[in-house]
Amino acid sequence: MTKIPEMPAVGRGFISDLTMPVFENPAWTPAVPAKERRVSIVSTAAVSRRGDKPFSWLAKDHRVFYKTDRDLVMTHVAVEFDRSAWQQDLNVIIPLDRLDEMAADGEIGSVADEHYSFMGAADPLTMEKSAREVASQMKQEGVNTVYLIPI
Amino acid sequence: MCGLAHYFESEGLSTVLVGFVREHMEAIKPPRGLFLDFPMGRGMGKPNDPDFQKKVIRASFDLLDDTVQPVLADFPDVIPVKDGRMGYALPPELVLSISDIGDVDALLAEVAAEMNMLHPDYEVAVASRGRTTVGASELAITDYAPFVGEFVRGDIPKSPRKGLPAIPLLKLVVEDLEAYYTETRTHRDGIDDLELMGKWFWEETKAGRLLLCLEAVSIASDDRVMRQIVEMSLMAPRFWSEGPLPGTSAAGW
Repeated sequence: MTKIPEMPAVGRGFISDLTMPVFENPAWTPAVPAKERRVSIVSTAAVSRRGDKPFSWLAKDHRVFYKTDRDLVMTHVAVEFDRSAWQQDLNVIIPLDRLDEMAADGEIGSVADEHYSFMGAADPLTMEKSAREVASQMKQEGVNTVYLIPI
Repeated sequence: MCGLAHYFESEGLSTVLVGFVREHMEAIKPPRGLFLDFPMGRGMGKPNDPDFQKKVIRASFDLLDDTVQPVLADFPDVIPVKDGRMGYALPPELVLSISDIGDVDALLAEVAAEMNMLHPDYEVAVASRGRTTVGASELAITDYAPFVGEFVRGDIPKSPRKGLPAIPLLKLVVEDLEAYYTETRTHRDGIDDLELMGKWFWEETKAGRLLLCLEAVSIASDDRVMRQIVEMSLMAPRFWSEGPLPGTSAAGW
């Protein structure tokens, strides 16, 4: 396992300097049974539908994309992660095809129509308003399970 | 990402997340987290490997059935990284200065020729995959290198894209340029190797040379944002370097 002290100097410096938010009395929502799960993906890869407004470098807002979308572009400010993987296969960061297959096989209930993207480089505390808007949209769509995937 | 999980849970939604930095997951304590010992940028592990991807998803969703809270589990498979770095990094000694730049027109001509050579294979890759990630900048592919070239000459041109200033647009152009190259080669040569792709693009291609020239100009720029894209490692891949970042003191590292 790559631990922070073992990382090369530049990344270790950046990552060590990050302040971790503390959530007092964190909420806990029990999961529904697998076959009742309606799943929406939340990615922090700053992807968006081609033609959407690019993310700003410390964006607090989000973009919506749909389960049939495959023509996504990325406007993430950071370059420390590998981009060659998602260039080859969207599913390696946003597994819409895999979730569709699992829904068809009855492993999960269904895949939401709408999925969401944030700018992972931004402070999550600044995203609260946007996250609660997303939660409201999800609940309107009958989503009960959120799969969060960073880049 | 861990913070977002708390907001969604407080809205009555069950969450599960995957993450790459275990210490952060331990600190923020998301309700349900699966640690992945993978390079960053590969949350589901391996491109074009549905079985592996489903294994990650199933291991994630299994945590939804756990009644312990919070739960932090380790995915059993490891995708090794090189020397503790979670992505490719330029060699610290490979830094150009303005005196290395030379004839910009000649370099742009070499980049144009290189891109022309790749173009048929790029088209094949796009047709085969049914998609491309190139184009976030919304500039024409043939305009990428000339736009970068204006900065390399020391100018900050007017942005051709309404609502997006020149320097943020420059970053998108740089990423489009790299994606054009790597999308082409990963498909043409059947390569899935982030270290090899990074080394090829940044150390061996003329486009990589152009971008190292851009970095040299950025370090010396009077513009704060131009300097910031080097100091924050926002353009050239130096985040996983043993450092220091070009133009900075080694003292901080």
